[in-house]
Order: sequence, then structure tokens, then C-alpha cells
Amino acid sequence: MKTITKEVLQDAANRLLFTMSDEQYDTLMGEFKILTKQMAIIGEIPDLGNYEPMTFPFDCTTSYLREDVPVAPLTREEALKNAGNKQDGQIKLPKVVG
Amino acid sequence: MDMLDLSLAELHQALVEKKTTPLELTKEAIARAKANSDNAFEYINEEGALAFAATLTEPEADNPLWGIPYVAKDNFSTKGIPTTASSNILNGYVPVFDATVIQKLKDAKAVMIAKATMDELAMGGTGTTGHLGITYNPYDPSHQHEIGGSSCGSAVSVADGIVPFALGSDTGDSVRKPASFAGLVGTKPTWGRISRYGLFPFAPSLDHVGYFTRDVYSAAVLLDVLAGRDENDSTSSTRPVEKYESKMNEPIAGKKIAVIQEIYDSLADETLLKAFNHSLDVLKEQGAIIDFVSMDSTLLESLYPTYMVISCAEATSNDANLDGIKFGPYRGGKTYQEVMFNARNEGFSELIKRRFVIGSYCLMRENQEELFLRAQRNRAKIVESVNAILKDHDAIYLAAAPSVAPRFDQSSDRLSDEYLMADNHLCLGNFAGLPSITLPLGFENGLPLGVNFMTGAFQETLLFQLAAAFERASGLAELSVRNPKEGNL
Amino acid sequence: MNFEAVIGLEIHVQQKTKSKMFSSAPNGFSRDPNTQVAPLDMAFPGTMPVVNKQAVINAIRVANALHMTIDHTLYFDRKNYFYSDLPKGFQITQQARPIGKNGYVYVEVPGGKKRIGIERIHMEEDTCKQEHFMDYTLMDYNRAGVPLCEIVSLPEISNGTEAREYAEAIRNIVVYTGTSDGKMEEGSLRCDTNVSIRPYGQKEFGTKVEIKNINSFKNIELAIDYEIARQSRLLLSGEKVRQETRRWDEGSGKTVLMRVKTDAVDYKYFCEPNIPPIHLSDDFVQNAIDTCPELYDAKKERYLAMGLSRSDAEIILSDPKMAAYFEAGVPFVQNAKDLANYLIVEVNTYLNKEGVAIQDFALSPKTLGEIITGQEKDGLSHKQCVDILNYVLANSVSPKEAKEALHIVAQVSDSNVILKFVTDVLDQNPKSIADYKAGNQRVLGFLVGQVMKASHGKVNPAEVSKTLQEEIKKR
Repeated sequence: MKTITKEVLQDAANRLLFTMSDEQYDTLMGEFKILTKQMAIIGEIPDLGNYEPMTFPFDCTTSYLREDVPVAPLTREEALKNAGNKQDGQIKLPKVVG
Repeated sequence: MDMLDLSLAELHQALVEKKTTPLELTKEAIARAKANSDNAFEYINEEGALAFAATLTEPEADNPLWGIPYVAKDNFSTKGIPTTASSNILNGYVPVFDATVIQKLKDAKAVMIAKATMDELAMGGTGTTGHLGITYNPYDPSHQHEIGGSSCGSAVSVADGIVPFALGSDTGDSVRKPASFAGLVGTKPTWGRISRYGLFPFAPSLDHVGYFTRDVYSAAVLLDVLAGRDENDSTSSTRPVEKYESKMNEPIAGKKIAVIQEIYDSLADETLLKAFNHSLDVLKEQGAIIDFVSMDSTLLESLYPTYMVISCAEATSNDANLDGIKFGPYRGGKTYQEVMFNARNEGFSELIKRRFVIGSYCLMRENQEELFLRAQRNRAKIVESVNAILKDHDAIYLAAAPSVAPRFDQSSDRLSDEYLMADNHLCLGNFAGLPSITLPLGFENGLPLGVNFMTGAFQETLLFQLAAAFERASGLAELSVRNPKEGNL
Repeated sequence: MNFEAVIGLEIHVQQKTKSKMFSSAPNGFSRDPNTQVAPLDMAFPGTMPVVNKQAVINAIRVANALHMTIDHTLYFDRKNYFYSDLPKGFQITQQARPIGKNGYVYVEVPGGKKRIGIERIHMEEDTCKQEHFMDYTLMDYNRAGVPLCEIVSLPEISNGTEAREYAEAIRNIVVYTGTSDGKMEEGSLRCDTNVSIRPYGQKEFGTKVEIKNINSFKNIELAIDYEIARQSRLLLSGEKVRQETRRWDEGSGKTVLMRVKTDAVDYKYFCEPNIPPIHLSDDFVQNAIDTCPELYDAKKERYLAMGLSRSDAEIILSDPKMAAYFEAGVPFVQNAKDLANYLIVEVNTYLNKEGVAIQDFALSPKTLGEIITGQEKDGLSHKQCVDILNYVLANSVSPKEAKEALHIVAQVSDSNVILKFVTDVLDQNPKSIADYKAGNQRVLGFLVGQVMKASHGKVNPAEVSKTLQEEIKKR
């Protein structure tokens, strides 16, 4: 596991496209200390490795697949009405480079 | 007593007999919403609700929701009506589609009068973190106590008698905990029983549509309407929808009810303990068999960290669509990265950011096994333990919370080392996706206390049967701030 | 020092389903941006993915054609990263459990065939399309959510030619399973390549360079061969190959640095919680395979058996619509090879000249067959049939009407009729007989011309020539 330092957390925040105040990073450091301690206790549960990681709360395996039939899409007005920056029926961004 | 203080069944009767009209009810509900001072609403849908109610002129005798006003938590997508999930990053967002439950209620001619405040993006349990500030508990006019969250505004709407029911969402206990603090019936059915399409996700593997009512009957008939397969939600169940109220009047003699010893032992509140014990006696008097069962305490202590890791990890991914490009405030920037950064940096509160960092960290390649996957494995073990209890019992019965609603100065959204099993066990129902209902038990210093029943997957009819028996014993059906009761327990 | 190249290809194929991978928005080329968009494609909060059945059927067919093991339970994962063209902030893909694993395909190499291993095929969704201008970019979400298949080869390709042939083999499969148009020029088939080199005999792989932005099959070959040469030069001059992403620059015929790779991106994959495991029954999988349209290789074998040359078969098969036309026309001709010739020469010339696609060709396969049989059994010459074809195309008339308008009559091959004309001409031209016998071969052409003239061109000139020679000998 990665060692938790303020720099690691700052980097994680930056990758999530935001930043936080120094005070918040300190709070977060404290929260991580508790969380990793608790997760380490869980790690000591002897037979945990016998369990598959669970995503779905119970077996909900289905055989359903959607028929390939298109339905009426949104109008362009609907699709774009919530976008803050647009031009010529498209969403506009500063030039995206590589 | 006004019409709105009637039970849902009585209200329906009054509508059918034309003693009142949907328009009158809607006006009254909106007036009550406006008069409420608990900061419960993001948006009051006055124009839309009145216009819709005005079209409802021919009562439908076989439709218990016809013309009934209701409130939806602000994380349900509502076409043409602003929906923010109480987050600044969604200010001004006006969805172009209705959530399936919103559509179903529209089809049933229920009238949505408002969107309710919530903890930001449903990631909180105190009702204090929404972008409009703190939501208060209507049982405390001095505004010292929380209502709980994240479905805080929805809880207020029903507890204050504004509407007979309100939609919420429940990822850890976000309907059932505030229901306990608000003296309400809070229901969360089996995962997949109600479509989540249009519910803004917090953690899809744990998210449920839930709702608040003032009696068990309303909860059951509401599920009749809301449940069912939805082809827009791949996880919605194809099982036939039942008449969930059908066994409400049947006796519960012989039903085996489990109380988890370790959680019971962690209760410290004298009033609560006394009332809870009394309730056990009453259930026994009705012929129920009460069994104290044990569950591994390490496992019970692991509930919260497990929940944190899974929910934060899923949330950081779900909310990656919030970037200010397609919707939400556009704050500009010299590059596309700056555009996204500015939107997210300004749009999320510090609490949300911390949760996202936690979630993201747990998913990092070098951390996944020890954090995210470990939490998922532990979830599997927790679920196995719960299901083992329910294999031999019809239900698990516990206090819904360790106390009445905490004071604001006693609660925090920070991760803490102080751990109360009784404060965190409701998420068992989310881990295992099981149907679960909170009911009012009694009062302490004028604030409500609650209990919770949980049954096996898709056993909602049984759940309502037990809940109805309990409700008859407690005498607390139709409780609201406007309709105070003491109860029998 | 000699180097061995190790090449792996990642091919993304856009599926031509009617609706998108996870939403019901139409999947089709539209010039109007943002008109084929469902709420999910814009990542509006609360939207949920629902898997497209046809996309799964297509993936099964391709996996089967590539001899892969097909997973009968589908799981999807989220690949998390932020980018302007990624509406949800994650892409739904199949990281942990691809629908197909461990396949292979054969490519032609000098002296035989080479088996190229394929690691996986998985389903995922496309991003939105960005159009770049001087100082801004416009976003079109029509492409967002279009179903993709990604096919990842093992690093078992050794040079540019093999890579091109591999990519073409994949193209042929995705085209003939009906999965995709497979057009690199239009982006419906995209190919990223990883190229490294190492001294012969070395076990460890060299540093891997990724090449993007290759827009044609030919350029796959060129880009890889350029890259192998570039890396070889570096190593020979004692420099190191950097781990980087380069793009193919068609104008200069070189690969150009895009970015130096630092540590690998962490996509924080986890199981998509909004799609339950989907069980594919044996029947479902088998039915997808059994109903799969005939594949390229099978068609090619069949065409060869019909008498087509390898190159003609390949030309016909290079366009599935041409192949469909060909197959529709075969019942109406005596010899499939004649039809192939007309399609490859006359019809293609016409289509190119008029800028028309074969599916919009005005002539039905039956009508074209009728014209061709004029040559095959009605004694018309190739030129006469071509004249009829062109007249039909120019005037929208039937072949019969064209034939009448052009006064075309069938040539006579009846030997008695020919003999009579030949005898008459020889009787009138004793000098020519003498000249021919004296060794003047050219006089034969003159005599044939005389017979043709006398018969008003009705007799078959080849037969005439043959009969003339026989009759001269008798005199």
C-alpha cells in the first residue's frame, strides 16, 4: 500500500481535479489514519481470503439483454440545454490538445 | 385537524367522496411547506403542482395515490424541475428526463409539490452538509437537534405533516436513520425491487430508493406502485410485484425474530432500552418467538470502515461526470483541464472532496487489494453472517439508532475512532440488499426513538406484516409534529 | 547487430448496431452533431447502462471467428479517468472478464502461413467526437456510447507486412460477421501498435513504443517498418529507445513524438455495479454462431471453387457489398468467372466514373447476368455485350431493347453456314490462296475480313479463321 503523506493526498486530489485547504489535508490525514487502522484489523480476519470480493448484494445474475432497437433520441436543444458553453449546436471547450 | 393530517387511506376516501380535491390538498401542502422553518426544501414546485392537481377531477377509487401530494428528495431526476442533490456543482441543472419512480408517481396521479434538501450528493448522515445549510428536526423548534440524513428534507416533510409521504434514498441508512429521528416509518425494500433509474447515484451497489410515511399501510401500498422491473435499470428485479399490504392484518404468532446480542448490548440509553425491552415483551405476547443471536463483534465493528471504503470508492467514480461541461455551472478556464478543475473545485464542499480522495485512494492499483477489495471481501462475509441469521429467523429486530436525534454540537461527519455498533448497523441491510423498515418506538424528552425490522430478500410482504403488528402495539401510526401521540411502549 | 521486432496490435472496431452499447440512442452516422444522443450518452445523473444484445452477438461471432474461448457470463468494469471526450468520467469496458480469450488468426508470410495469437476481445463504448479549431474544440456526443470491440493481439507480429496482414484479417472478420464497416479511413477501425526491438536471441523485450493515429492499412505497414528502422538506428548508435507514444505522420512518412510516457496511468478499474452479471446460455451463444453470416475465408474458398482467380476473389471480397452483388448475380450467369470479370472491369469502371457505390448500382444482378449470358451462350462478342451494358446504363432500357437499338445480332458459329461463306470467298480470291501458300500469313486477315463483310458480321471470326485455314489446305 502507498504510504499516506500529504503529498500523496494532494496528488490524489489534483488527479480528481480539485484542491483543498491545508487544514482539510490535515483532517484527511487523521481520517486515513483511522480508516487504515480499521482496515488493517479487517485484514486480520483469518478466512477473509476465502471470500470473493462482493459487488452485488446477492446473486442477481440475469440473462436480459436489450434488443437492438433505437428509440427517439433527445432533441439537440434538450441535449445541450444544461451546457454552459456552446456554439453551433455543440459544446465548446478551450482547444483540447493531445 | 386539517385534511392533510388524515392517514393516506382516509385521505383517499375523502378524495373519492369529493370531500376535498387534489387542488385543495396541493394548495394546503404548499402552504405548509412554505410555512416550515426547518430548511427542508430545495425547490417548491408550486406552479407545476397546482397545474397538475387542477387536471385531477375524476377520483380513481382503486388508486390510493390519486391526487395525493408528495415530496421527492432532490437527487431524483425531475424533468423540467431543477435538481441539485444539494450540491453547488449542480446549481441550475434542469434534467431532461424523469426518474422511473417520479414517472410512476406521475402516472398514479400523485402530485409532487417540492424537492427536498439533503446532505450534499447524499454523502452524509446528519442533514447538515447540503448547499443550503443545516436542515432542522421539527420536533425541536429551538433547532438544536439534527433530523439526520441524508434524506433530511424528505423526513421533515412527512414529520411536519406537509405531505403523507416523501421519497428518499438509502445507501447506508439515509432513510431509516432520519425516520428514527423523525418518528416516521422509513422503508427501504430489497435492492433491485424499485428501479434506481434517475436516482443520482452515490454508491450503486448499496443505493436504494426508499421513502417516508406515517404508517405501515402507506408504506405497503406505495411499494405496490413503485416496485417492479424497469428496463432502464439492469439491476431491477423481474420478480412479480406483490400486494404488499395483503398480510398486514395477519397475526405474527410463531414468527421467529432475532435480536443481535452484540448490538443490543451496545445500547446505553436507558429510555430506549426500557422501551425496546417492552416492545420485545409485546411481540412475545403476540406469539412471536424472540431469539437473541450472536454475530462476530469484529465483523460488527468493521461495518463502518467497510461501508466507507466501498461507498467512497463508488462515489468518486459516479461523480466523475460532474465536470461543468455538459451541465452544472460552467466556470471557464484556459484549458479543458482548467474548465473541469474550476467546476469541481468550486462545486464540491470540503467534506465531499475528502470522501472522493478516500475513495480514489482505496481504488489505486497498489492499494486496491488492501482497501477496496478487502472491503468487498469483508462485505461478502458480513452478508453471509446476516443471511445465516435470517435462514433460521423471519426477521432481525433492533433499535434503529442508539438514541434520539443528536444535538448538532455532538455530531460530526468526520471519521472517528469512537465506534457505536448501534449507530451503524442499519447498513447491514444495504450490504445484503435486504428489505428493512424503521418504525417509531416512543419518545425521550419529546424527541422520537425508533426500531427497525429487516427480513430476507424480497420478503417485503412479511416485513410489512411484522411492522403492522408492531405498529398496532405501539399505537404510533399517523404520528407527526401536528399530530402528537405518546404511544404504548 | 541484427534486431528482431516484437509487435502487438490493439484494434478498436466500431460496431454498426442500430442502437448504442448501453443506451437506446440511434447508432448511425449523422452530420448533425448532438442529434443522436440519449441521456446516458451525456452522462446525465441517474442514467444507467443497459447492454445491447446485438453488440454481444457481434462480439461472440468475432470471438468465434478468431477461435477464442467465449465467456458465458458477462461482467463489465469501469475504467476511470478524466478527459474532455469522456462524458461519464469513466468508460464501461470489460477489464477482468473479456467476452473472448486466447484466439488466433493466420496471416500469409513468405513460404506459408503464420499463426498470430490473440489475447482478448472485449466490448466497450466509444467517446464523444472532438472537432478542433484554432483556439477551441467543439464536442459532438453522437459518437459517445457507440459500441466498440477491442481486439488485442499477443506480441507475436514480426514486421510491418505481417501487421498489415493481421489487421486486414481482423478487418475481414469484423466486416463479414456484420459487426463493422471496418474502414480505417473513416475511423470505424482504429489500430494502435506497440513496437519494440531486441537483438536476436535476447529473451527480454525491448522498450515499447506506441504508435497512434494510423489511418490506413498500408500505413500500418509503413509506420511499423519506419519505427523498426528508427529504433534500430538508435540502438546501433548506442542510444536508448525511450518509452513513448508517437503518431504516424502521413505527409512526412515518419513517426513523430507525441508524449514521453511516465508511469503507467492508473485507471482504478472496478466492477460496474449497475450491470449485473449476464449469463449467456449455451443456446444463445451457439445461435449467435450458427446465424453468423458466411465469413471472408469461407467465401474466398467458395469463389476459388467457382473458378475465380485468387486476385479476382480478393477484389470482389474487398467490398462486402460487391461480394453480395456478385453472389446475387451468380445464378444468372453460366460461369461465375465471367460475372467477376464484368464486375471488376466494366462495372467498377462505371462506378468509379459515376461516383456510385455498388449498392446504388442501377442494374440488378439479374439484368447484368442477362447481358453476360449474351456472350456466354447467345454468340455475342465481349465487345457487343459491353456495348449493350453501356447502352442499358445510359438509356435505362432493357438489354433486349439495347440490342435492337444497336442492331446487334448474334454471330453464327454454324459450320455449314460458315463453310458456304468461306467457299464463296476462296473461289473469288485464288491469288490470295497462292500468296498464303507462299508464306504470306497476313493474307488470312484479309480473307477473314472478306467473309465478315459478305456475312454482314454475322459469323464468328474465330470460326471463320479456322475454317479458312482448313479449306485452303484442301485446295
